[in-house]
Order: sequence, then C-alpha cells, then structure tokens
Amino acid sequence: MFRAIWSTLVGLLVDDGQLAIGALLALTITWAIARSSGDQGREVSGWLLLAMVLALVVANLYRAGLSVRARASSARR
Amino acid sequence: MDPLAVAILATPAFVASAVEFVEATTIVLAVGVTRGWRAPLLGTIAATGTLAIIIATLGVALVTIVPELLLKGVVGALLLLFGLRWLRKAVLRFAGIVAIHDEELIYRREVAELRAQGLRRKEFDWVGFLVAFKAVLLEGTEVAFIVIAFGAAGGTALTAATIGAIAAGVFVIALGAALRKPLTMVPENWLKFGVGAMLCSFGVFWFAEALGMEWPGDALSIPLIVATFLLASWLAVRMLRALLPQGAHVEARNV
Repeated sequence: MFRAIWSTLVGLLVDDGQLAIGALLALTITWAIARSSGDQGREVSGWLLLAMVLALVVANLYRAGLSVRARASSARR
Repeated sequence: MDPLAVAILATPAFVASAVEFVEATTIVLAVGVTRGWRAPLLGTIAATGTLAIIIATLGVALVTIVPELLLKGVVGALLLLFGLRWLRKAVLRFAGIVAIHDEELIYRREVAELRAQGLRRKEFDWVGFLVAFKAVLLEGTEVAFIVIAFGAAGGTALTAATIGAIAAGVFVIALGAALRKPLTMVPENWLKFGVGAMLCSFGVFWFAEALGMEWPGDALSIPLIVATFLLASWLAVRMLRALLPQGAHVEARNV
C-alpha cells in the first residue's frame, strides 16, 4: 500500500508536478488560515480550500490545453 | 445500523473499487484464457489473502490507533492529491488530449506477451501465477487504500467502505467470469471522472473537518461538493475542446 501511495505521490510530483505543488500549497494556506483566524477561519476553511482547488484544476487544465495547442500547431507546420 | 446509510456510504467505495477490479480482472482473464485457469486462480487467491492480512493489520491499526482528526487530515490530503490526478487525467481523456484507457488493447497485449513466453504442460505455471498475483495485489492495494480512505471516519464508514469494495469485487469478478472477455463495456473514463470528483470531495471534506470546521448538514454537504467538482471539470472539458483547433485532437494524442 505504501508503494502505491509512494508511486502516486512521485507520479504526481513528476507527471503533474504543478498540480501537486498547487494542491499542497492550497492545503497549507487553508491550515494556516484555520490555525490563525480562530473560529471564523475554521468555519470558512473548507469552502476556501474548495475554491482554491477548483481554481487550481481549471488553471492547470487551461495551461495544459494551451501547451497542447502550441505543440499541435507547431507539428502542423 | 441503518441499511440506507450504509448503502449511501458504501457507494463511493463501490465505484472506486470497481475501476481497480476491472483492471485486475482484465489481466487475470488474459492469463486464464491463454495459459489455463489453475495458476492465475491460485495467484488471485494468494494475492487476496495477502491483501486481507494487509487490511486487517494496517487498516484496523490505522483507524483504531491514530487519532481521528489526524487521520482525517492526512487521509484527506492524500485523497485530494489522488483525486486531482484522476480527475485531471479523466478531463484530458474526455477532451481527446490523452488516449482513452483501452481494456481490449491491454487484454490483447497481455495475451500476446503470455503466448510468447510459452508453456510447458507438466510444470506448474509460475508465470501465470505471478502475473495474476502481481496484478491482483497491485490493484488490490489501491482498493485497500480506497477502503481505508473512505472508512477513515471509523465505525459505520469503515464497515460501509468494506462492504462497497467487496460488493464491487464480487460484481466485477462475476461479470468477468460470465463473459470470459475484457470488460470493455464498463465506461471506465466516466467512472474515473466520477471517482476523481468523489476522492477530491472527500479530501476537502475531511481535511476541513480535521481543522475543526463543521460543514452545514455534516455529510449532506458532500454531494454538493461532488457536484461542484463535476461541474467545474465538465466546464474544463468544454474549455479544452474549444481551445484545441479542429483536427488537433488526433495530433495531440501523438504529441
């Protein structure tokens, strides 16, 4: 099991590095806000994490799309 | 224990485990059809036994010894990382950027490799045994992780996740045994899309709970989070399709 977790984490960092780093950053920001802002921060932490992760996914895929488009058009030339 | 609550809690584990079972079944079928059934079935039983020991020791120890909030935090973070990877890949597949996972192709490739290795009739087929053992153990560890992840809350959640995974195993194996061919009719990318969204949602839910947040309606907010992930991912598929010029889909697969 640890091997599966390890290979997924390595795969994440190597294949989808930016997504993994972004997700870890979002988790850290959420944790920091929940710790430093008291009850109010804790109550919004889930929604904040959800918003950050959704933005991250869309931004990452948009970037992937742009990269594929650039490669596809250079392959045509 | 309310059967309806168990059924609801078991569904994510059922769907997620079914995907892994389909992949393992494809390999075992390929070995059985090519080299006979004795060795791959023994390999499957041996791997299942190994997995049962892993889950019984590690899983139960994790759920009972590690403090609940810490477990939820760590499992939530891992679920989010796993889920994001699945979701991203599923979106890229739907957009045509990455090739769809083809069970038929995997099956044919496995059969060709196994035939190439040859078989001596009188000896025990260690190749068939090991290939099946490895496939079942590998996919099974993912199922074990899914069970522990979805059952991280302990009690009913762990029971429901275990029931869901066992039901998925019985269902997929029965289907594979009845058809004796790869389960190509299973909409794997749709399942991965849904499972990715579910993993991410459970990840967000549990991580926030570990930080002390109380979600409105408690677990009832999970479907809302899943729907949000699905909507955002569906919009991402449309965005990617719009981004790629006409005819780029085929080329992009080869990039």
